[in-house]
Amino acid sequence: MNLLEAQHLKKYFATQKAVDDISFSVAQGSIFGLLGPNGAGKTTLLRMITGIFYPDSGEIIFDGKKFDPLKDIERIGYMPEERGLYKKMKIGEQALYLAQLKGLRKAEATRLIKDWFTRLEMESWWNKKVEDLSKGMSQKLQFVTTVLHNPKLIILDEPFSGLDPVNSNLIRDEIFNLAKNGTTVIFSTHRMEQVEEICNHIVLVNKGKKILDGTVKEVKQNFKENLFRISFDAMPLNTNNDAFTIVKQNEDYSLVVKINEGYSPNDILRYFLQSNVNIFSFNEILPSLNEIFIHLVEGTPATRQFQNVTA
Amino acid sequence: MLVIGREYITRVRKRTFIISTILFPLLYLGLIFGTGYIAGKTSRKLHVALIDSSGFFNKAVVAQANQQDSSSYLEYVTIHPDTVKKNYLSLGYDAYIIIPPINWEEGAKNLPLKTDKTYGVAPVMQVEGKLNAIWSRIKSEKLGIDENKRQILIQSKITVDARNINDEKSNAKIASGIGYACGFLIYFIMLIYGSQVMMGVMEEKTNRIAEVVISSIRPFQLMLGKIIGIGLVALTQFALWIAFIFLIYNITKASGTASSNISGLVGSVQTVFTSINVPLIIFCFAFYLLGGFFFYSSLYAAIGSAVNEDMREAQSLSFPVTMLVIFSIVLMTSAMADPTGPLAFWASIIPFSSPIVMMARIPFGVPGTVPWWQLGLSMALLVLGFILTTWFAGKIYRTGILMYGKKPTWKEMMKWAFRKS
Repeated sequence: MNLLEAQHLKKYFATQKAVDDISFSVAQGSIFGLLGPNGAGKTTLLRMITGIFYPDSGEIIFDGKKFDPLKDIERIGYMPEERGLYKKMKIGEQALYLAQLKGLRKAEATRLIKDWFTRLEMESWWNKKVEDLSKGMSQKLQFVTTVLHNPKLIILDEPFSGLDPVNSNLIRDEIFNLAKNGTTVIFSTHRMEQVEEICNHIVLVNKGKKILDGTVKEVKQNFKENLFRISFDAMPLNTNNDAFTIVKQNEDYSLVVKINEGYSPNDILRYFLQSNVNIFSFNEILPSLNEIFIHLVEGTPATRQFQNVTA
Repeated sequence: MLVIGREYITRVRKRTFIISTILFPLLYLGLIFGTGYIAGKTSRKLHVALIDSSGFFNKAVVAQANQQDSSSYLEYVTIHPDTVKKNYLSLGYDAYIIIPPINWEEGAKNLPLKTDKTYGVAPVMQVEGKLNAIWSRIKSEKLGIDENKRQILIQSKITVDARNINDEKSNAKIASGIGYACGFLIYFIMLIYGSQVMMGVMEEKTNRIAEVVISSIRPFQLMLGKIIGIGLVALTQFALWIAFIFLIYNITKASGTASSNISGLVGSVQTVFTSINVPLIIFCFAFYLLGGFFFYSSLYAAIGSAVNEDMREAQSLSFPVTMLVIFSIVLMTSAMADPTGPLAFWASIIPFSSPIVMMARIPFGVPGTVPWWQLGLSMALLVLGFILTTWFAGKIYRTGILMYGKKPTWKEMMKWAFRKS
């Protein structure tokens, strides 16, 4: 069942087609990655889902009904990329304030904040001020304030920027935890290695348009180039065969080969088994999301040009 | 509601609020008494040698004049003028003056007071005043007017005091004093707290917290919450000041009987209180304070939302708004001169100047100077005005708060305001 469905969303600004007819759906309890280069329209898209912007056209279906920003934002937690907190406010009060804005009662909010603070080892922070925190620390606080009210949908815009590996893992585990408990997570990033680790489903946008949609596995399968790596104890003497062509020959007695049309991996193995060398390993090389990303985005101008929009 | 609470509590709890609440009245009093004191201390007492070649002056008259007025010291000298000219400094005089032979019916014009320095106007005026006092005594004697008749000549005068027959209690002098005070206080509040609203909005924008909050509540609620919160702070500060004044007044009244000086002061304060309608003024003051504050601070909020970190941008954009406030003060001073005139009427009806100008007119008396219908109309228009500016500002705010990058022009802000949602 899909928690969120975006249908033909459009948002034009004076000089930009920020989001130009994008549709996608997010399944309940999944972790959804929204990818794209800088200025692709990710933030605008997220702002429409959080009700900050109204789409020029198109519809958002949230939990089976038409998205109503006034009512539904209480069930959404949003951590924007440009994040901030009141510098002069105490951390506990700040978290309490933001939680109350989301409609929680004071006592309830206090209990939840204490819970989260203990879990993320932040107990001693309550009476500190935000200006005393490092960037990573305030990031953690921001994450807590986003997920505090148990929203059905959590939207995280670049959640890991500025976090060290330890805290990064801590947050990642919390995201997994939330998803396991049925919360849906959308997050946007341009760091592909994290996406591969975390996401079930990804959408890639560029220049306001969707250019890729699918699960991580599907995407990789679609973009694979039928490459395999084989390593031996010594280089075979004869490597010419109809089944494959050699792409690369490495110093450590390994080969990268591409299967030719009409052959299967077993044909390659069979060929090398007959040669008098020992095979140590044989594995498929799937493209990393990073490569796919670069492949798809490359060739388009790195930054969007301003254009006149007649909508 | 939560936003209001946060804005209010964080501001009231700040040390600067407490300090400014206490310090402002102290500074204000210090300014009034301090400048008076310093002015009294520093005014120069000239010590002047008086050489008379007219034959009208004598030692006794001069001495009597010195006794009555100590602001300068004249000394009737009989030594030869040339020695005085040469040695007046070493003889201990600041200056000397030679009275030439004069016709007593005409007097003398532009007598030179010779010194080696340039003195300000005030000390020279005092010497002149004293010479005239002496001179009038001499003239009286010449004319055969004795001391009693002279007193009658000087002291018997007619003074005029305006009374409004619709409002027996109104007193123009006290009223204009209170009017000025109220007008200026509102002016200060609007500028100080207006720019606080602007800074607050800018803070939210540059800290990038606006987006977090806006994902929970509507931008308009955030803006309104901020404005109301800060407005309440302003009101709290005023309530505290009024409480202070009453406290001090009551303490001095209680302990005042001991010193005639203080009880005189208490008495004059009492006449002020009885000559004006205190509850009405306090009510109107609160009303116009809040009305004017909402009117202007929503404009300031719109500006704050439109600019980036740069203070200079904020200043250049807020300049037209600030000009309106300053212009109101200029209007107020003209309106005070004629509180029932057409300028005063229009300026106190039109919302942008009405908080200041109407507040300055009210102490002159309701309904004597300001008829009830004018007051009602002015209040209604002000309410209408601030609903309009808040709505207008809300539109700009909604777009501005999430815009980063370049500074918008007024034209673009107008476009935001009139764009459909």
